[in-house]
Amino acid sequence: MELNINGKSHNITVEDNMPLLWVLRDELNMTGTKYGCGVSSCGACTVLIDGVATRTCTLPVVAAVGKEIKTIEGIAAEGNLSAVQKAWIEHQVPQCGYCQSGQIVAAESLLDATPEPTDEDIDKAMTNICRCGTYQRVRAAIHTAAKYRKESATLLG
Amino acid sequence: MTIKKERTRGQKWTRRAFIGTGGLLATGLVIGVAGNMYMNKAVKKYSGTGMGEGESLNAWLRIAPDGTVTVAVPRAEMGQGVNTSLPQLIAEELEVDMSRIKVIHPQPDAPYANTFLLSNSEPNFYDGYDMMEKVAGTLALVTTGGSTSIRDGYTNMRYAGATAREMLISAAADKWAVEPTSCRAENGFVINEKNERLSYGELALAAKEVDLTELPELKKPSEYKVIGKPVQRLDIPEKVNGTAEFSIDTRPEGLLYAAMRHPETIGGKITSINNKDAISKMPGVKKVVLTEFGAAVIADNTWRASNAAKSLDVEEEDGGNGDLSTAMISAKMLETLDEAPLATPENEGDVESILTDEKSTVIEGTYEVPYLAHAAMEPLNCTVKIAEDNSSIETWVGSQGASLVKTWISDVTNIDADKILVHTPYLGGGFGRRGEPDFIKIAAAVSMEMKGVPIQTIFSREEDMRNDMYRPAAMSRFKAVVEENGDINAWDNMMALQSVTNNAITRWMGSMMAPSPAKDIMTIEGAAHLPYNIKNKRVAFGNVELPIKVGFWRSVGSSQNAYFTESFMDECAHAAGQDPYLFRKSKLKGHPRFEAVLDKLAEISNWTSPAEPNRFKGIALHKSFGSIVGQVAEIEKVGEKEFKIDKFFCVIDCGRIVNPDTIEAQMEGGIVFGLSAAMFGEITWTDGSVDQYNFPQYDMVRLSHSPKVSTHIMDVDEYPGGVGEPGTPPAAPALTNALFAATGQRIRSLPIAKQGYKFV
Ligand code: FES
Ligand code: FES
Repeated sequence: MELNINGKSHNITVEDNMPLLWVLRDELNMTGTKYGCGVSSCGACTVLIDGVATRTCTLPVVAAVGKEIKTIEGIAAEGNLSAVQKAWIEHQVPQCGYCQSGQIVAAESLLDATPEPTDEDIDKAMTNICRCGTYQRVRAAIHTAAKYRKESATLLG
Repeated sequence: MTIKKERTRGQKWTRRAFIGTGGLLATGLVIGVAGNMYMNKAVKKYSGTGMGEGESLNAWLRIAPDGTVTVAVPRAEMGQGVNTSLPQLIAEELEVDMSRIKVIHPQPDAPYANTFLLSNSEPNFYDGYDMMEKVAGTLALVTTGGSTSIRDGYTNMRYAGATAREMLISAAADKWAVEPTSCRAENGFVINEKNERLSYGELALAAKEVDLTELPELKKPSEYKVIGKPVQRLDIPEKVNGTAEFSIDTRPEGLLYAAMRHPETIGGKITSINNKDAISKMPGVKKVVLTEFGAAVIADNTWRASNAAKSLDVEEEDGGNGDLSTAMISAKMLETLDEAPLATPENEGDVESILTDEKSTVIEGTYEVPYLAHAAMEPLNCTVKIAEDNSSIETWVGSQGASLVKTWISDVTNIDADKILVHTPYLGGGFGRRGEPDFIKIAAAVSMEMKGVPIQTIFSREEDMRNDMYRPAAMSRFKAVVEENGDINAWDNMMALQSVTNNAITRWMGSMMAPSPAKDIMTIEGAAHLPYNIKNKRVAFGNVELPIKVGFWRSVGSSQNAYFTESFMDECAHAAGQDPYLFRKSKLKGHPRFEAVLDKLAEISNWTSPAEPNRFKGIALHKSFGSIVGQVAEIEKVGEKEFKIDKFFCVIDCGRIVNPDTIEAQMEGGIVFGLSAAMFGEITWTDGSVDQYNFPQYDMVRLSHSPKVSTHIMDVDEYPGGVGEPGTPPAAPALTNALFAATGQRIRSLPIAKQGYKFV
């Protein structure tokens, strides 16, 4: 089957029901997307599918065929960090870093849908587990990223 | 060259430097002890492995021609920031900018022994204390844990930087034929009086040959440019773009994946596999193996391996613990509380006669906490490749016990430890779990079944959670007599739990090395030798013998003892009718660092201002791992037994500050870790098996539950304390004390959610 990942097409031969997570990690060696629970509870495996944050540990690969898949590796367009990634560095969010691919992808999706999220919007959208407890920096970085996105939109506009 | 021999601080450090040399002696790397580990020729020539190009001036740093300094960080990066804070110590003395620094994790060789690890509690607690420190040095244990990385490295790393700097200066002075004292080092260059400059990259080759005769003087804190600054973490750029490699991301050529199937019950053993042939034919499966640790399936993909492992039909002997249950464990702890204690590490005055005096009003409370899983975000895994002819082993594993990895793999494979190469990628959380041997030994056993290919053995989340080395369940029974003026006349604390140190060290190094339960300083850490002035006090404990494997869990004994003691301290304040802050403060005469933390905490939390409606505060103060932390929880009542944990105020005195932003991050994360345990965390047992499988049954604080944390770091010119763990212990009692303020109900058993409380 053919998968469109970060703008590139990949041909793979696997079982239809293999979760997308394991296709990414073990078949394509794209290890930025992480395994945390395998039951759609922690969000470590989050990628964007047609722009929507999706947990891939329970998503059969066949469901992603014909869709645009964007992983953490594709978030920085041509090597330029996204507003979210810049804010993540500015706030020094990651500790161990293991959950952060999922957090960043979830934040991108939140900001796409809600460009200026309130704390409550963030509470609702950001349900990924961070065992290191980086939540307050995640929250702060999302607000900063919203600001950066707005600024660059104004510049472009 | 004139180098002053004087050091900036005390003798203790000298002793540690020499103990480090002891480790080298033990492994035959060094013969003379004249001098020390930075100037000793053998160590200087010893360059570690994988340091990249350039010249090594000692075991900790190598300088490339372009001036890049590769720093060997011999501690695992598990989120605590060592990849930045340890290099900061070197950069400060070496006079280089942090942007010049590249970090590697070296092979866990003798110069990198962590001599502080086994001595991280109060000094001279037991006679065995100094002995354990020597053991750590002699065995050259290269380990990460006990909030020791800075405490162990604070001296070593600065001397590594300072001696290298002096060697570079000396090499430049030689070239210019001037006195070294007329030259100075600045930002990667040596500069002479004529303002001529030579870069470190140009000087490294000659500098390598310089023999220093004396230790250089270290900078005074007032001269620091890098230490004490919120330097951006070097590991963060690759942690935001998906390129950071954790051990689970190891992808050597030809990698296969193995999924584990552990026995169902504690002490159980899988004796045979009934459907081996059928499983072998499943897609992608390469081999089905039975090891002494359990069954495993090797396949070409983690998911295929995992599916196959789940489908295994196995025979299991239950190990005689098939009837173990949580109710039974609680009953056993209660029994132990009533028995004569195994040890009474603190016994001052005459507690007994005050408690039994009929004129005394005795207050009492029995507290209980459950077993807890570590649940690090990255499930346990280890990749091992064993050469077909047994000539070498290569392993990639996020371990907190890098040097022990060699021992453990050697034990399982019977291949010499010196043929084993250990790579230490990033750890997706450690919290003590990654210091254990089990997942490494299992991976070695699996790889023995298929040599010549690298195999990554992974625990599924379920296997990870149900086969942890848990924080033990524990009970504490307090009795106290509080005088009318608020003095605590008697304080009695009897505890019951399994011995973590005895249990864990037996697994690490065998029972011969393990301290007996009576000598386990972790049991009483945070329960005995409290800072409060109490006239008569007794702290005792009993050992609960159980087959459950228990281990070091972020903040260890303090994880339960802070909750126990600071809750009961609140009970005493309540009995005296006094404000919990002022009550504690009145007992801190003679402990100025504690009092200063408490006062600052009251200040930043507006403790004494009248509370807004429906808002309540709780306070807790606790010292662990060399640092004093005070916290105030501010909660809002939103319904009957329904609360929002709005804010946490945190004050830490960790002595000298290396990276303030890292300290704040560790406080924020430590509080969330403590709150997860206080609110939700519980591992229970039925029929000898763990009831919880995955996050839906063992939930933790998520973003919506996490409070806003404000941290204040005290400015104290003392030897640094730890920061990875001390943020965790006060979180639970600060919260439960706030809940008491709100409801008048004392929470004597965790998790809180089990008492009918809800959090929004
Ligand atoms: S791994 Fe997919 S949600 Fe946890
Ligand atoms: S940074 Fe470690 S789990 Fe989030």
